[in-house]
Amino acid sequence: MTDVAVRPTPAVLDRNRVVTWLQDYGVYAAIAVLIAINTAIKPSFFSMDNFRVQAFQVVPVLIVALGMALVITTEGIDLSVGAVIALSSAVIPLYLGYGPWLSIVIALVAGCVSGLLAGLMVAVANVQPIIATLALMIGVRGFAVILNGASAKSVTDETIGALGLDSWFGIPQEVWIAVVIVLVVAFVVRRTAFGRRLTAIGDNRAASALAGLPVKRVLVAVYIISGLLAAIAGVFLVGHGGYADPSNYGLNYELSAITAVVVGGTPLTGGRIKVLGTVAGAVFMQLVAATLIQNNVKNSYSQMVEAVIIIGAVYAARGRSGR
Amino acid sequence: MALTSKRRTASVVVVAGTALALALTGCSKSADDSGGSSPTGGAAGNSAAAQQVQSTGSSGDSCTYTTYGADKIDLKNVTVGFSQSESTSNPFRATETQSITDEAKAQGIKLIQRNANANVQQQNTDIQDMIAQGAKVLIVAPENSDGLAPAFAQAKAKKIPILTIDRTVNGSACSDFIGFIGSDFAGQAKIAAQDMAKALPDGGNIAILQGTSGNNVAEARTDGFTKEIAASSPNLKVVASQTANFDQATGQKVMEQILQSNPDIKGVYAENDTMALGAIQAIKAAGKTPGKDIQVIGIDGTEDAVKDVAAGVMFSDVETNPRFGPLAFQALTDFYSDKGTPTNIIIADHHFTKDNAQEALDNGDVY
Repeated sequence: MTDVAVRPTPAVLDRNRVVTWLQDYGVYAAIAVLIAINTAIKPSFFSMDNFRVQAFQVVPVLIVALGMALVITTEGIDLSVGAVIALSSAVIPLYLGYGPWLSIVIALVAGCVSGLLAGLMVAVANVQPIIATLALMIGVRGFAVILNGASAKSVTDETIGALGLDSWFGIPQEVWIAVVIVLVVAFVVRRTAFGRRLTAIGDNRAASALAGLPVKRVLVAVYIISGLLAAIAGVFLVGHGGYADPSNYGLNYELSAITAVVVGGTPLTGGRIKVLGTVAGAVFMQLVAATLIQNNVKNSYSQMVEAVIIIGAVYAARGRSGR
Repeated sequence: MALTSKRRTASVVVVAGTALALALTGCSKSADDSGGSSPTGGAAGNSAAAQQVQSTGSSGDSCTYTTYGADKIDLKNVTVGFSQSESTSNPFRATETQSITDEAKAQGIKLIQRNANANVQQQNTDIQDMIAQGAKVLIVAPENSDGLAPAFAQAKAKKIPILTIDRTVNGSACSDFIGFIGSDFAGQAKIAAQDMAKALPDGGNIAILQGTSGNNVAEARTDGFTKEIAASSPNLKVVASQTANFDQATGQKVMEQILQSNPDIKGVYAENDTMALGAIQAIKAAGKTPGKDIQVIGIDGTEDAVKDVAAGVMFSDVETNPRFGPLAFQALTDFYSDKGTPTNIIIADHHFTKDNAQEALDNGDVY
C-alpha cells in the first residue's frame, strides 16, 4: 500500500523527461515538422522566395518579442509595444522632410521616451507593470493618432521602403538588422552584468535590492529597450507597407509578442530568459499562420489552432517549473 | 521623505510625457507628398456625388416614432449621437463621419460623436456614454452584426431610437432600431464577379480577400461573389478565400501568403479598397504586374483605388457611397413626422471602370 507512494513510477519519470525536452527543444522540433509538412504538401514552400515572404512578416514581431522577453524576465510585461509601433509609424511621415535617417532617429527616440515613461512608472513609482503599460497602450496610441491626423499617410521614401522591401545578398535588410539585434541581446543577457541583474531582479526583486543591485536603473533601462525595439518594428512596418496608419499598425502586437516569448520557453514568472527560444517562438507562430493561410483554412479555425498552441506551450512551461 | 520622492517621480513622468508631446509636434516637416489623398476634402459635400436612393423595400415598412414607441421630439432641440465603428484612416470612414458632421451643422442640429476603432466592446461603451451624455437619438455605424446588443437594449429601455447605417445589426426594424441605410452588398459583389469574368475571359484561379468575420457586409460580399461566379463563370475557380479584416497591412500580408501557395493566380477580388491596395503592394513585391499578370477588383470607390483603376493597375471598383449625412437626417426627420421612414433604404452606387474612372476623378465625385 505504501510502497507505491514512496517510489515514483517510471511513467512519471518519462513524462517529466518528455516535458523537459519539449520545453527545451519542442519549438525547434515543431518548426522542423511544420516545414516538412508544408514542403510535402507543396515543394515550392521550401524556396528562398517563400522564406523571404515569411521573414518580412516575422521580423517586426520577433524584434518586439525580444524586448518583451527582457521585460518578462524582470517579472514585468509591456502592453504598450503595439502603441509604440503606432507612434513610431506616426512620427516617420511627420519628419520625412528632414530626410529619412533623421525621421527614423526621431521615431526611435519617441519609442525610447515611451519606454522611459513605462520604466519610471514601474521602477520608481511602483505601479504594477501591467497597469503602467496598459495606460501607455491606450494613451500612446491616442497620441499617435492625433499626431498623424485623421487619415493614413503614404510613405514613398526610398530608404525606408528599402528597409521594408529590399534585400542584401538575397536576404531582406530587415533580417540582417534583426540578426544583429538578436546577437546583441543574446550577448547582453549572457555575458554582461546587466544580463545577470535582469534575471536576479526577475527572480527576487526585494533580495536584489537588498544585495545592492541598481534595481530601478535596470528596470527603467529594460522598458526603454522594449520601447526602442518596438519603434524599430514600426519603422519596418512603414517601409514594408509603404504607408503609415497609426490607428491600425501594431494592433495586437503585444499579444503576438507575448505568445512568441511563452512559446519560446521563457516563463511569465520571470527570472529566466530564452533569447533564441523567443526567436524560434516568433518564427513558429509565423509558420503556423503561413501554413493555415496557404492551405486556405478558415480564419475561425486558425484562431482555434493558435489558442491550442498557446495552451500547449504554457502547459509545458508549467510542467517544467513543477507547479 | 518617501512622499517627496514619489512626488518627484510623478512630476518627472508628467514632464517627460509633456516633453515627448511637445518635441514631436514642435518642428515637424513632412515630405512634399503629392500622392497623399485628402479624404475629408470637398468630396463629402459634392452634390453630384450625393447618395441616391435605389430602393426602399416594400411600401408597407414605414416606421414612425409612434410605432417605435418613442417620444416626439424636434431634432433641432436635442442632441444627436453618432457612433462610428472604425478608424477614419480608411477614407470611407473619414468621408462618412464628415458627411454626418456637415449635415448636422447645416441643419443646426447638435451632434456628439465617438469612434470605436474597430472594437465592438468600445462601441457598446461609446453608445452608452452618449446616452449618459444626453443624446436623445442615435446614428450608429455598427462594427458587427451581433456585438452591440447590450447598448441597443439600453437605448431601447430608455426609448432612444437608433438609426443604423452602412452595416446591419441583428434584430427587428422599428423595434430594436429604426431601420437601415446602406448599399446592396450582395449586388456590389455580383457586379465585381461579372467584372472578374470580363477581366479573365479565359478563366483561371482567383483569390478572395474577405472582410472582418462576423459582419453582414463581408458575408454578403463573399456570398454574392461566389454565387455569381458559380452561376455564370464556371472557368473561374476560387482557390483561396481568406479574411484580411478590411485592413491594408493585413491584406498585403495575406496576399503575400496566397501568392506563395498559388503562384498561378490570375485575379483577386478584395471586399474593400484598402485590402485591394495591400494586395497590389504584395503583387508588386512578388515581381508581378497588377493589371497585367493579376487582375484586382475592389469595392468602395476610394480615391487611391479609383486612381489605380484609371491607371490600369486595378481592373474595376464598385462604389460604396459613404455620404450618409443627408439621407440619415432625412430619415430621422421623416421618423418624427406622421409620414414615417422606410426601414430599409438601399442606395445606388457607382461603378468605376477604365472608361469612367478618370472622368469621375476630374469631377471630384470620388472620395
